[in-house]
Amino acid sequence: MTDWKAIAHARGLAIPEADVEAIAPRLDAIEAAFRPLAVKLTPDQEPAAVFHADPESE
Amino acid sequence: MTIAEAARALRNRKISSAELTHEALSRIERLNPKLNAFITLTGESALDASRRADAELAAGADRGPLHGIPIAHKDLFFTRGVRTTGGSKIYEHFVPDHDAAVVEKLAAAGAVSLGKLNMHELAFGITSANPHFGAVRNPWNPDHIPGGSSGGSGAAVAAEMVFAATGSDTGGSIRIPAALCGTVGLKPTYGRVSRFGAMPLAFSLDHMGPLTRSVRDAGLVLNAVAGHDPRDPASAPRPVPDFVPEANCHIHGLRIGVPDAYFFERLDSEVEAAVRRTLSQAEALGAVVKPVRLPDVAAVTAAGMMIQFSEVAAVLEPHLANRNLFGKDVLALVDQGRFLTAADYINAQRQRRQSQLDFRAVWREVDCLITPTTAVPAVRIGETLVRIGDQEEEIRSANTRLVRPFNALGLPALSLPCGLTSVGLPIALQIVGRPFDEPSILRVGAALEDAGVTLAPPRSV
Repeated sequence: MTDWKAIAHARGLAIPEADVEAIAPRLDAIEAAFRPLAVKLTPDQEPAAVFHADPESE
Repeated sequence: MTIAEAARALRNRKISSAELTHEALSRIERLNPKLNAFITLTGESALDASRRADAELAAGADRGPLHGIPIAHKDLFFTRGVRTTGGSKIYEHFVPDHDAAVVEKLAAAGAVSLGKLNMHELAFGITSANPHFGAVRNPWNPDHIPGGSSGGSGAAVAAEMVFAATGSDTGGSIRIPAALCGTVGLKPTYGRVSRFGAMPLAFSLDHMGPLTRSVRDAGLVLNAVAGHDPRDPASAPRPVPDFVPEANCHIHGLRIGVPDAYFFERLDSEVEAAVRRTLSQAEALGAVVKPVRLPDVAAVTAAGMMIQFSEVAAVLEPHLANRNLFGKDVLALVDQGRFLTAADYINAQRQRRQSQLDFRAVWREVDCLITPTTAVPAVRIGETLVRIGDQEEEIRSANTRLVRPFNALGLPALSLPCGLTSVGLPIALQIVGRPFDEPSILRVGAALEDAGVTLAPPRSV
């Protein structure tokens, strides 16, 4: 289990401990859904967000 | 009465815009204390605008089918000189000095705005139980939620306070209230409608669109608001076709895909029965209804959630020092985004792009998809869990899991009412199309509507 309270403390997130405790199960669920996908991504897979060097060309 | 019918009556001089506007304002006066759909009413300026609309029509200056039609805007669209709260305490007194693109375009088309509609706080939630401006109530049963975040838009259209309302959809926020209130709701393709002047929730997922009484009305509103806008960096320089399906349009031979997994799992039995019944009707109208295997929908849903939470946390960062500004449920969601890393966000965008590429294969097999819009009908206000079969599920998940994937994919999606539960609450299906192929999904919706797949306004109001 991820220690969300420790992470909040280390990152300086001003979130009361009780609030972190309340959202911890949801954060665990997000992790469980997403981490296995992220490790399968290969280096050639580019993000969807695209930067335009010339904003006029957007 | 639909927009098309009102437009005909206006041109035949059977009714005036001032009369339509008076009628709408009287209805709002009677029903809003019960439904709480409006945050700000602009009755006087609406009446002025309606008289101008009548004078223009009398002088032969016809702005098109929306000319003189009463509408209202979700309270996150900037309106020059009119308070725009975003349903939030942060913006309680915010008065923009310019109009959002959508507001500007609808005004140019002659629509008469009656005011600003209540919504879930900051558009981040699906109940529209707003802690600052009060809960919006469902016109079919005021003890139930209208859905959200565009809950005031759904309630106002369903209760016939307005002919159309604007909405925004980041994870289902047009389609969910449309489904739960029994209206039509259209989330156009990402880039089709300008986001300029709409308060952002999540930049890369926010879509703007209409909630209306009929499919053709949704096409009429889309005709007015679609088009490239250089003020929105995501706006697509695409040609804008006529989105209104022709009378007696048909769907002979059109291939409708029914996903073989994910979208028909964990459904309320009445929702599933109504959607499957409508699929049979589509088949009877000549459509080819076939099962289709989709790429990993759970993956794009998870990516969409990561992206949404990350972008929301970034947008709201400047206000997070004052936690009292937020309702409890919204704060809990915003806090979740603060735990995600830059790598999480980038990987979610990578997964999103992969899912988008994978989905191209689907459009070689079918022309559109039909799924339920929400897994359950409207729950009672205050409920947080819903029972589906022998399992309990959070209402947020039961309402968003079928719609969220199409925000991450940016695909156009139309919610269409397709029945009532045994206790009289609306049920809806969702028609999803190829990128920028709104005409096809509107055609399917109109053909089904012509065949009787529609709801009369709620009896309770």
